[in-house]
Amino acid sequence: MAMVLPNHASATGGGKPTRPGAVAPAAKRGLVAQILDTRASGILLVIALLLLWEATARFGWVQSQNWPPFSAVMVALYRNILSGELLAVIGQTLWVTLRGYLLGCGLGIVIGFAIAMWRMARLTLEPTIDIMRTIPTTAVIPPLIFVFGLGDPLKIFAVAFAVVFPMALSTASGAGAIDPIYTQVARTFGLPRSYVLRRVYFPAALPFIMAGLRTSLGLALIVTVVSEMIAGNSGIGFYLFQTQYAMRVTDMYAAIILLTIVAYLINRLFLTWEGRVIHWARTREAT
Amino acid sequence: MSLPFKRVIQILPGIAFIAALLLPLELATRWNLVNRVFIPAPSAVFATTYDIIITGQVFAPLLTTLSLLAGGYAIGCLAAISFGILMGNYRRVYNLFEPLIELLRPIPKAALLPVMILFLGLGPAMKLTTVGLATFFPVLINTVQGVRAVDPVMINTARTFGHSGAAILWRILLPATAPYILAGMRISLSISLIVVIIAEMISANGGLGDVIVYGQRMFLVVESYAWLVIVAALGFALNFWFRWVERRTTFWVSPSNQ
Repeated sequence: MAMVLPNHASATGGGKPTRPGAVAPAAKRGLVAQILDTRASGILLVIALLLLWEATARFGWVQSQNWPPFSAVMVALYRNILSGELLAVIGQTLWVTLRGYLLGCGLGIVIGFAIAMWRMARLTLEPTIDIMRTIPTTAVIPPLIFVFGLGDPLKIFAVAFAVVFPMALSTASGAGAIDPIYTQVARTFGLPRSYVLRRVYFPAALPFIMAGLRTSLGLALIVTVVSEMIAGNSGIGFYLFQTQYAMRVTDMYAAIILLTIVAYLINRLFLTWEGRVIHWARTREAT
Repeated sequence: MSLPFKRVIQILPGIAFIAALLLPLELATRWNLVNRVFIPAPSAVFATTYDIIITGQVFAPLLTTLSLLAGGYAIGCLAAISFGILMGNYRRVYNLFEPLIELLRPIPKAALLPVMILFLGLGPAMKLTTVGLATFFPVLINTVQGVRAVDPVMINTARTFGHSGAAILWRILLPATAPYILAGMRISLSISLIVVIIAEMISANGGLGDVIVYGQRMFLVVESYAWLVIVAALGFALNFWFRWVERRTTFWVSPSNQ
């Protein structure tokens, strides 16, 4: 078994022909090699799999009610978005996600700073956080139905519960990893605590907060969908099982695809925003 | 002499805080300030938890959940690590699968449950597959990243000294990639615990998720909370175990890097 790392040759050399012979001329390599050496092969694979899906369903190679052709799913996606059915459903989900996310993250950031800045707060809160953060959120939802009923408050609480502890920990690790010289200098100059928080702790913790916010975003969406599945009367988690029971599998697949697109777009948007907020921390975070 | 005393002083505020959370709840239920039907007293919940453990009721659901979790997690991790090493090492394998993975990765895996149920039914095959899928992607992404971050000089040096591919894999690639793999496995562990419990709740044929949801549907309020305590303990224990594994396997990584 030969361990070849062809990617490093182009990665370190930047693809510039400074070293003759390091990169073969494209014309000489032939079409197959060219496809294999770029992402084209991967895109072709995706297209081939989609065609396979289409063909197996269209020509009845897979005889199953659960296997609608890909084109039918896309048509259903288009139709259900236009009719407003899917938009209403995804809107309910995102509205819950947003409220739970903001609540949990806000609380988590405050707790995180408290832990980093006061030793007493750390000693007081850390054991509880350590216990709470390992609880799988799904298990919390059914008992909480007794408290909140089946409406949005339950789901918002579940999302906030899932997010608050990781958020507190990443904030605390960011604010806690600050070079003590900075805080000492601030103290030497007799700066007020609120000023130190704003101008010293906050910028130091910001890259960690952003990282926490990003992972929490995905988590919040998953927990929303899951809580809609368990305690459902609205949202996409509920819709998925509704369509499954009703054997409307095409609509079900369409909903999954929409959910995936939304999850992807949210993450993309967040990355763009993150890049703007902590552009100065790029080099540090890369290490 | 003074060291244990200092430790006791240090853990006191934490215990006091937990007590400060539970005590008002206990008193409120005792004095009927809240509806006892829906919000049971913490003492009653802990007593029921104790009963569930002592009478051995805990074993069947716990073992079901643990075996599903272990199976799905192991399958997902092994597949992801081996595939990740291939993708990290061979540019062409990477090119071939990267777009597909980019498409599949953002799917919230819990949303695949209805599909899994359609194809695999409500049995263990469905749960193992869902847990495996949820485990797969974080570990895969991290493994690929880890392999590509390995200094090529190390590999070239090893090859110059005539080491075989297998030796390079075991002695260089895997140790260098281990911190990345473990970081992915840590994310996957908490996700797969969430997923196995939701799968059990929906299929309702055994496991911790099933008993929690059963308690909720049958209005066994105290039992429902008691099972939650058990699941919480499981989550805590798994996390503790994972930290131990991490310390043992990547002891050379300084803790400040995490």
